[in-house]
Amino acid sequence: MNYPAWDVAHIGSGWVIGIIAIFHVLISHFAVGGGLYLPIAERKALKEGRREWLNLLRKHSRFFLILTGVFGAVSGVGIWFAIGLANPEATSALIHNFVFAWAAEWVFFLVELSCAAVYYYTWDRVSPRFHLAVGWLYAAASLATLIIINGILTFMLTPGEAWLSAAGTGREASQFWPAFFNPVYWPSLFLRILVCLNLAGVWALASYSKIAKASDGLRAETLRWSARWIAPGFLLLPVFLAWFLWSLPEPRRALLELGVHTIGPGAFTQATRAALVVLVASAGVAGLVYLFAWKSPRDFGFSHAAAVLALAAAATGAGEYTRELLRKPYVVVRYMYSNGVRVQDAARFNREGFLTRSLWAAGAASLEKRGEAMFRGQCMACHTRKGYRSMRRLLAGRNEESIGNLLRTLHERKEDSPYRAFMPPLVGTEEEIAALKTYLAKLAAPSGGEEKPAVVKQIASQ
Amino acid sequence: MKQARHSLYKWLDERLDLTEILAFARKKTVPVHRRSFWYYWGGLSLFFFLVQALTGTLLLIYYRPGPEAYESVRQITYEIDFGWLIRSIHSWAANLMIFAVMTHMFSVFFMKAYRKPRELGWWSGLGLLGLALFFGFSGYLLPMDELSYFATKVGLEIPALIPWVGPKAAALLRGGVDVSAVTTQRFFALHAAVLPALFVPLLAFHLWLVQKHGNAVPPSEELKPPEQRRSIPFFPDFALKDLAMWLIALNLLVLLAAMFPQGLGQPADPLAPAPQGIHPEWYFMSSFQTLKMFGKWFPGTAGEALGLIVFNLGLAIWALIPLYDNKRAWGLRARIASYIGLAALALLVLTTVWGYLALD
Amino acid sequence: MSEEASMEQNSAGEKSGMKRRLFVRTTLGAAGLAYAGALGYPVYRYLAAPVEQAEREAAVTEAVLKDAQKLPPGTALMFRFGARPAMLIHHRDGAWTAFDAVCTHLGCTVRFEPERRRIHCACHGGVYDPKTGANLAGPPPRPLRAYRVKVVEEAVVVSRV
Repeated sequence: MNYPAWDVAHIGSGWVIGIIAIFHVLISHFAVGGGLYLPIAERKALKEGRREWLNLLRKHSRFFLILTGVFGAVSGVGIWFAIGLANPEATSALIHNFVFAWAAEWVFFLVELSCAAVYYYTWDRVSPRFHLAVGWLYAAASLATLIIINGILTFMLTPGEAWLSAAGTGREASQFWPAFFNPVYWPSLFLRILVCLNLAGVWALASYSKIAKASDGLRAETLRWSARWIAPGFLLLPVFLAWFLWSLPEPRRALLELGVHTIGPGAFTQATRAALVVLVASAGVAGLVYLFAWKSPRDFGFSHAAAVLALAAAATGAGEYTRELLRKPYVVVRYMYSNGVRVQDAARFNREGFLTRSLWAAGAASLEKRGEAMFRGQCMACHTRKGYRSMRRLLAGRNEESIGNLLRTLHERKEDSPYRAFMPPLVGTEEEIAALKTYLAKLAAPSGGEEKPAVVKQIASQ
Repeated sequence: MKQARHSLYKWLDERLDLTEILAFARKKTVPVHRRSFWYYWGGLSLFFFLVQALTGTLLLIYYRPGPEAYESVRQITYEIDFGWLIRSIHSWAANLMIFAVMTHMFSVFFMKAYRKPRELGWWSGLGLLGLALFFGFSGYLLPMDELSYFATKVGLEIPALIPWVGPKAAALLRGGVDVSAVTTQRFFALHAAVLPALFVPLLAFHLWLVQKHGNAVPPSEELKPPEQRRSIPFFPDFALKDLAMWLIALNLLVLLAAMFPQGLGQPADPLAPAPQGIHPEWYFMSSFQTLKMFGKWFPGTAGEALGLIVFNLGLAIWALIPLYDNKRAWGLRARIASYIGLAALALLVLTTVWGYLALD
Repeated sequence: MSEEASMEQNSAGEKSGMKRRLFVRTTLGAAGLAYAGALGYPVYRYLAAPVEQAEREAAVTEAVLKDAQKLPPGTALMFRFGARPAMLIHHRDGAWTAFDAVCTHLGCTVRFEPERRRIHCACHGGVYDPKTGANLAGPPPRPLRAYRVKVVEEAVVVSRV
């Protein structure tokens, strides 16, 4: 482990990525879907000679430019910062494998940004044909960024046998294409395109509810036209979702079952619960758009749009969260564990020690300090001390001995260990694990923190 | 297929007069104005009640009152497939239902929708709120964990304050000198049989009144000349919007249940010390805090009894407001009633917040 | 365009419009059903949970008890067979027997008493024969259910008869 861990209190470093990423996905997928929406709408308006509709589109493209060009772009860079800090090992591994893909994505991203600006600033200044061509170029460039990033995201979930057999040999790059077009690449791409179309419609509704005049007959017409963009997603989402799940390897799918029968703390039940929210909220978006925008476009206001948007955010956020959870206990499945330990390094760490390989922990001399270094290096990628997946809560009521037993279970990671499905092995020498035990026992002791011992209501939110 | 549907409709129509009902629904209108948003809260309360009836029935299948109460809820939460979901939705919908009913009540109050001819609507609504609170109180004990045990123990101290009949009534509710397995048995009977039997007819009466009198409009709207007032047909326009609100409510419910599922504490142990910061559900917080403060200001049982009297006096004024503010016009009485409403709302919010702050 | 021709076109358009509407309705309905099914699925699983559990338990026909061949003669080992408690007895004469350990009287778990060579139920004093499982004394109405025992190299395999 070459890098120290990033200590974010309460939410943990993972949620820093999560919050930025969910915000980013909500906008970047709009950037792709909206990229198709604009030229298609413009073409229709031109063909039918609808001047007033073009004016409305111009206003909408302004909203589009600001939202995607500023908030989308900034949050995208934000993800880079966050993943580099939160999981440097994984980021490094991804860059080593996909540097070419990322460079290509960057180029398309620049084309995309330029086109968006040109598109907005050349309304009525260039020939309609040329303007429309810029719109199409934008759509193509933004779709290309999705096509590329989807390969990298899905690689982490299913790297595929070909790449895995080359992993660690130094010849990983020879398996670039199988890794890129990995087993869930296609279902995931189609799912994402559906989400893009949905978000194009949802954001257009939000935009029109503000920019179109209430008295206009045009308003109702454009709202209904935008509402249609939800239909493909509503119809095909079940199909592609089923395809996606079917393409997943069994251990990934099994993670979805863990929360069916229990909400017991420490049983990793979040994936089931998040998947449930995805289903209900995506149906909710379609239902609301139908009832609000399609059935009574005349009364459609910003508060209605906000409700739709909130549900879309819930569906998108829960969807991304579920996808992340399905990788457990890995960050790159079967290659690197969630905490950045490579699968192939585990045995060596057990032999030679985890901390001896961690330069940043060299100063940790005392037992407790070494225990804390172990905690930072191996636990903190997913757990916090007192916040999200809090160690204090999960270890509450255990004494040092029983914590030691739990650590041994995690270290041995036998076939029948329930933790095997979602937690990485605890690696290190006996002495290091004992140090971690000491540290955790102190953390879990009722007086170990300044918190009041009163447990007013036990809510198993992990 | 169309043919088949048509003949089915005809068959039913000949027996049920569907056309008449449909015509009535189409003819009925709902006013549209700045405050139309508040019209949805009655419907939302109804939605949450329906959810309660459905999930409650599902919970009946595995819940066992009496000595096994805790064990059965433990099984529902930690063993039965999606039992946690059903139970969490039941618990969240209970809270949201009380919230929706209270919002509905205050919106009715400020729109002055209790005036003639809607007094009975106001009273039946208050009755429904009272029953809903009883539902909440009795349901809270059923898991029989530490928290529900102590909350019920404390909650039953309140009726015990009533002179003469109080202690006897509390003992009857408990079925003994202390909350025990016997109590869960009778609270279960209350929760799943007695209260529904009272609630459903009252609800039907309430809904019938709403159909009969239609939606009230706020006085500001009443003053407008008829040609300036807008309205939409109840069916399908308003019904569709109502449906949309129900959909939002359903999504909110699933989101809350999935993100914050209802856990289960340690089994109730009468010998264990009460856990710190024991407090009732939020909808009892206001009255809990009021009684607590009266007890502090006037030491001895007299203080709490005084609190109880003051509290019931307020409740009586609240219930009798339609008889006081009974003129169409916007006069002195109307204004005073509005101030009473504002004061009640402020008092409710303040004492609730105060109650939570006073916990630590 | 003559009036007639336009009318014809209209009716043709109407026909294709009706077809389209039917198609849209059908697909929307199908998707709606898919979502409704997804929402109903948890309720189904909730109701079916005990069925699944019972089926899983009934499906257990064999239990492999690792290292149980080392059980000293004259002792018994309690284990779970499916969801039910069961006991494996290694008799002093080297014989092996295994029984369901639930008393046939009122469902208490029974105990092997080597010194008195009997299986005893403490609840109401039922007594069974440790070799055959036959109910010898006390209230039990039926013998204990016996399992087949096979001692292999590193385990004892108990299976349903």
